[in-house]
Amino acid sequence: MALVRARDADAFEALYDGYHRLVYGVALRILGDVPAAEDITQGVFLKLWSSPDLYRSGNFPAWLARVARNRALDVLRGKAYRSVSELPEAVPEDDSLEDVAFAHLDAAKVRDALAQLPPEQRDPIEQGFFGGITHDEIARRSGIPLGTVKTRIRSGLRKLRDALDGAVTV
Amino acid sequence: MNLDAHDAMLDDVAVYALGAMAPADARRVREHLATCADCRAEYAALRPAAGAVAYSAEACESGQNGPHVSALLKPRIMREIRASVAPAVAQRARPGFVWPAYLVAAACIAIALISTIANISVGGQLKTAQSELEASRLAAGQSARALDADRTTIADLTSADAKRYPVPNGAVVARGGKIYLAMHDMPAPPKGKVYQAWTLPKGSKTMAPSVTFVPDPRGVAVFALPQDARATAAVAISVEPDGGSKAPTTKPVAVAALD
Repeated sequence: MALVRARDADAFEALYDGYHRLVYGVALRILGDVPAAEDITQGVFLKLWSSPDLYRSGNFPAWLARVARNRALDVLRGKAYRSVSELPEAVPEDDSLEDVAFAHLDAAKVRDALAQLPPEQRDPIEQGFFGGITHDEIARRSGIPLGTVKTRIRSGLRKLRDALDGAVTV
Repeated sequence: MNLDAHDAMLDDVAVYALGAMAPADARRVREHLATCADCRAEYAALRPAAGAVAYSAEACESGQNGPHVSALLKPRIMREIRASVAPAVAQRARPGFVWPAYLVAAACIAIALISTIANISVGGQLKTAQSELEASRLAAGQSARALDADRTTIADLTSADAKRYPVPNGAVVARGGKIYLAMHDMPAPPKGKVYQAWTLPKGSKTMAPSVTFVPDPRGVAVFALPQDARATAAVAISVEPDGGSKAPTTKPVAVAALD
């Protein structure tokens, strides 16, 4: 990122090569629409080029994925793009909480870890992350009590973390 | 706060870490986190796992079977990037006044010498080494990911509880929430064209665009669609311009109605 801040187009290209599939994949999963996912990908990377200081520190791919998710959810909800500097409601700016060990996660391992979760835990996690709906809405749509939905999300995330602790490919 | 209430708050912290909370609820949790060390620890433990969920959606490498990013996207972005750099360079090259020729020559030689020494001896070597290291790391990661993804796909496709819906040159396979396309002997799409998958959401009358793909030289394409099978009534495939379309522009070459 230091080279990108110094306006090094080759460094930016390397950054694109490394992370465009993550940005595009998140947008595509949320929107299910190829042209829209490409628009999001283009917008995120161009914004990163024009305002590289928006990324301050911490896990870069996780930050990039959050930006892509926010933009895609904005499109899903029919809202104008929020500023890329506006971190999602759920993510405070305290980078000390960022687990750098997760900076080189393997997508297949994450899919496997998710697949290992019981459906009643996996479904609300995926719906909450990619579906752009709140836990209240998940409970309402599934007919499951709100407290149960929240407990299942927490249990699922704990299992996911345990599974991924040994899945880092640095 | 009593123990039950605090345990409920820990559940809220998990939902907050996932980013699945309404703004007002999120504000309440954020305020609580500022005052509760236990909940901050829970948040620190769960936030990376919540963030990791994003990786499960990562698109495939170019050349692999499965959803991939259009090859046209990168040139489109890099054109804008390099265009934004060029004017700045040109502007810097414009002098504020005309230098005498001998000063220009001397300055050029000095700059060239300094730049050469600095770039070649330190910056050049470092950059090359960093690039090679990064390329090796990415290549190793890509190989491992491809292998794992293939294993998962094979396990799902051969599962006894997978539902198969035959279509010309292959099948649509649904297992749990996943939808796979398992195609073989597909003709290569015309130049400038790709195949595009479409899904019909339950309760909808309009096909929604899904991923674009190109079969390998043997005509094989096996990959998962990002859509949820449980919310999908039908899957179709059509030939579309590279980059995909928002609505089908040609008659589908395959259609499968899911249960």
